[in-house]
Amino acid sequence: MTIEINNQPYDLPDDARISLLDFMRERLELFGSKKGCNQGACGACTVLVDGERILSCLALAAQYDGRSVTTIEGVANGDELHPLQALFVENEGMQCGYCTPGQIMSGIALKSELERGAPSNVSADLTVAPRMSRDEIKERLSGNLCRCGAHNGIIDAVAAYVGGEEQ
Amino acid sequence: MTYHRPTCLDDAVALLQCAPVEVIAGGTDWYPARGDRPVTSDILDITRVDGLRGIRAAPDGWWIGAATTWTDILRAPLPPDFDALKAAACEVGSIQIQNAGTVAGNLCNASPAADGVPPLLVLEAEVELASATGQRRLPLAAFLTGVRQTALQPGEMMAGLWIRKPAPGRAAFVKLGARRYLVISIAMVAVWLRLDGSLIAEIRIAVGACSPTSVRLTALEAALTGCRVADCATRFHADHFVPLAPITDMRADAPYRADAVQALIARAITEAAL
Repeated sequence: MTIEINNQPYDLPDDARISLLDFMRERLELFGSKKGCNQGACGACTVLVDGERILSCLALAAQYDGRSVTTIEGVANGDELHPLQALFVENEGMQCGYCTPGQIMSGIALKSELERGAPSNVSADLTVAPRMSRDEIKERLSGNLCRCGAHNGIIDAVAAYVGGEEQ
Repeated sequence: MTYHRPTCLDDAVALLQCAPVEVIAGGTDWYPARGDRPVTSDILDITRVDGLRGIRAAPDGWWIGAATTWTDILRAPLPPDFDALKAAACEVGSIQIQNAGTVAGNLCNASPAADGVPPLLVLEAEVELASATGQRRLPLAAFLTGVRQTALQPGEMMAGLWIRKPAPGRAAFVKLGARRYLVISIAMVAVWLRLDGSLIAEIRIAVGACSPTSVRLTALEAALTGCRVADCATRFHADHFVPLAPITDMRADAPYRADAVQALIARAITEAAL
């Protein structure tokens, strides 16, 4: 059983009980994804699986055999920051930085969800593509907590990344 | 322990015959429910069983496979009867959880506050349970037998849900939590209705988190049938809410829940009738 993480193949552990988050942090020394609550409430462990965001603390690594995972370590292009990473710096979208990897992975997923026209809980109509708005961004970042309260900078960064009409 | 990931339903139910095995799909409830207890039993992952993920339209209704995620529900082209289920789909946890968590898992976990239950009760959903000896169907209301208790017998797993095609109606779901996001419901209400002009021709109302399992309020449904949408709230009577038994817990006290439910029902009816 193998899993691809940031375009690199890894053998999955023999012990199938290990979560995807623990596998990455404790076995592969990929410390970018953070263990905040370890029960699906904080979003600090958010990663992409084949482009869709999930919480790696609530996933058995074995379940993602053959799938492609992207973490914060895999978004920059060498020394060149991912555009959303650069916007987090520019907009001061952080204070302590602990939630930042999860926020950025959610922000990247959020853009593709919006581009595909996926509605959210604040979309006026669940059957048509939503209009980009600050409310849509806030709703779609609601699974990522920031206990420093850096939300305004985070939302500014993601809004700039997503583009479109500001409200 | 052994991790099993069968690709056909026959293999999955055959594994259920053997040693104690825990069935998982998205894992979003399974992990937190464990707490610090180690995993000792075998795990049966049903996410790669052929035909278990997705929504299929049949001439007489819809089939929702047991590995279908909340996001799958939200993205599926479904008629307005499913609007309450779609509204619940985008309020369950966060988008990260909606991408992994399944509707069937929400039902099997059988929390009194499971957001999927009231929208499926008003659709009169049936669950399909599979075992090595065959399959059986049960109304969802009969499947949920108590707090975290279901009618699943040893050797059985949920294969999916059936929803019979109703006369075209509309539906709404209203959830009350202590904050806007990522909360377990204090109370929630799903309403499905069919209008005849401004009158209610048919209505189904289900309430969650106010009794051991979510319940339909059939006496209230009867009282509101034929009523003008705008007059509904004036027809509420204490007798209509007898099936509810709200408790006091860390999220809200019982009198608050009982009071809030009436406001939520009025709101859901208005929203569904829009």
